[in-house]
Amino acid sequence: MSDRLDDLERRIDELRAGVRTAMRARDTATARTLRAELRTAERTWDTLVSGDGPATEHGPPAGNVPEESGQGAPRRARAHGAAARRGDGPRLVTVREQVHQALALLDAPAQARLIVAVSQAFFAGSIRSPQLTSLRRDEERSFRSSPYGRPYYLCAALTDRLSPARGLLTVSTWPAERRVVGPLSPRVDFLTCALRVARHLGGLPGSLPDGDRLLARMARNIPGAGDDAFGPPDPGRVVEAARRELRVHTRRDTRDRAQLAKRATSQLDDVAALFGAATLSTVAKESSTMRGGR
Amino acid sequence: MNRLDALRGTTPQKPHDARAIAALAANPGCSRRALMDGAGIDKDAAARHLGFPAPFGQSPFAITRGNAFEALVKADGCAELLRMLRDLLGLPIAEVAYHDVENVGAHLRHTHTRTLIDRAVRQEDAGTVYDHPLFTLDIAGHTAYLEPDVVAFQLGGRFHIVEIKSFAVIDGQADPAAVAAAARQAAVYVLALRGLLAELGHDPLRVSHEVVLVCPENFANRPVATLVDVRRELAVLRRQLTRMTTLDRLLDGLPDDLTFDLLPGEDGLPTRPVAELADAVRGAAARYAPDCLSTCDLCFFCRDEARQEGASDLLGRHVRDELGGVASVGEVLGLADGTRDAAAGQEEIARLLRNAERLRRECLT
Repeated sequence: MSDRLDDLERRIDELRAGVRTAMRARDTATARTLRAELRTAERTWDTLVSGDGPATEHGPPAGNVPEESGQGAPRRARAHGAAARRGDGPRLVTVREQVHQALALLDAPAQARLIVAVSQAFFAGSIRSPQLTSLRRDEERSFRSSPYGRPYYLCAALTDRLSPARGLLTVSTWPAERRVVGPLSPRVDFLTCALRVARHLGGLPGSLPDGDRLLARMARNIPGAGDDAFGPPDPGRVVEAARRELRVHTRRDTRDRAQLAKRATSQLDDVAALFGAATLSTVAKESSTMRGGR
Repeated sequence: MNRLDALRGTTPQKPHDARAIAALAANPGCSRRALMDGAGIDKDAAARHLGFPAPFGQSPFAITRGNAFEALVKADGCAELLRMLRDLLGLPIAEVAYHDVENVGAHLRHTHTRTLIDRAVRQEDAGTVYDHPLFTLDIAGHTAYLEPDVVAFQLGGRFHIVEIKSFAVIDGQADPAAVAAAARQAAVYVLALRGLLAELGHDPLRVSHEVVLVCPENFANRPVATLVDVRRELAVLRRQLTRMTTLDRLLDGLPDDLTFDLLPGEDGLPTRPVAELADAVRGAAARYAPDCLSTCDLCFFCRDEARQEGASDLLGRHVRDELGGVASVGEVLGLADGTRDAAAGQEEIARLLRNAERLRRECLT
């Protein structure tokens, strides 16, 4: 108990310092996020110190982050985890945390629309698509002001020109091959997402109407996944159908992605490798020395 | 082209979009519209200055609905679209490559579209779906940029234009006017893409004359695709566009000092006397039809003019065509009750009208 408090105090101090740095750099977006985290941490500290005791004993609500891909989970901010676990209402989980949850389930670059749907279906999420529009820019700004200051960043998928792909979000802890998109990747990623959603849904004990609806929508667009049947789709059948189509595309897509990833790691600096090389127009605007993708 | 520039005068030119170009094909007989579009005149501003503003443009709700539906169809690498194309055209499972042209900056989009289409035709790196392409089309010597919200994709060596519209197809039936408008708009894109292929030295006929129209099905939001043949729209459009480049014949009939200039002042507001502008606009003959109300900015002005003249145009295109050669309603009535003698070439229609009048009188008495 007391070392949890120690941890929290350290975290609160860190966050305060972070807010101060951000304010000095006039980076209001980062400051706002950090402040929100700070408040969450302080609230957790309050609960712990006033001895509500079993606050820490709350198990994670079932199915909250069951399919964590492993890279992000151990490094997550504790205060965040605590807030999420307390289940104090979705507002305490920040937008970026909710997006990260959804992306960790999907395990592939995804559009805002899908992220929101997954978050609502499986995590009782409260995010709406418009909230995601400025997210990537905020993350980039935060990364530029203090690189690698956070356990993970939500960043852009990279196109074959190594510029940021429109509307696709990824997580910085993923391998480079997963964060680039070739011509076949949108389809492969869609099938991967459907596969992951189906598996997740199949592993849940009861039925989840929102999840069923999401899966039904996805299954409709996969041949042989059960578009002829009424009622909720069979997750096993969706997995099977998605696998079958994936087999057709995987080889070419893996090859394309490996090439792109190689180019990205050799040509781009840290910021660009996560958030994409500037397109020519932005280069012209900022007359930056960054190397554009071709 | 100097003559057209003189018609426009000092008013800045208005670029054409696909909707405007498609509307051209809706009323090919109207020389007022042909002249004003050829000169790139802002018809909306002219109509407002004349005191006949058209309640024109799409409602914001319709635009939002259209965008939402389009996003649904294109979501997740065009997953919905691929399903429909597999059903409709038998697209092979392996054909799923998706290229988003908009990933390059806005100023490079047209060049990038060209490169991608060229590569696709050469079979080097054939993609299947091209999202947000940017085409160009030459309109009376000016380049118009067409930004189709549509997707051009390649199937068995042929390109198809995909047009996404948010009006519903209920039990296999859709609003004929809406379908016709969509077909006209898609025809503009087909023409532009054919032009692009010809420019690149490929066979323009590799662009199919069948466009894929995607609409919501029944009362749900589930998209459904249908093939629409746009050969007729293409022919009309092509004729109209060549007519615009050969406007000389129309221009020869106009007085030399005629201009549609609005004389915009410092603040961009038109300063030209309204009566003078109205006279100038009347100088070019219009061919009003009730359909103009949904396609042309000047519609209210032309309708007012037609009413004052008592023109038979007001009764619709069908009636006007039946009454070929008789321009006004008064004239028609005169011919019918015999108070007016038929001029040369009107004998046939006069006989028909008199018969009709006799039948009517017999029925009523």
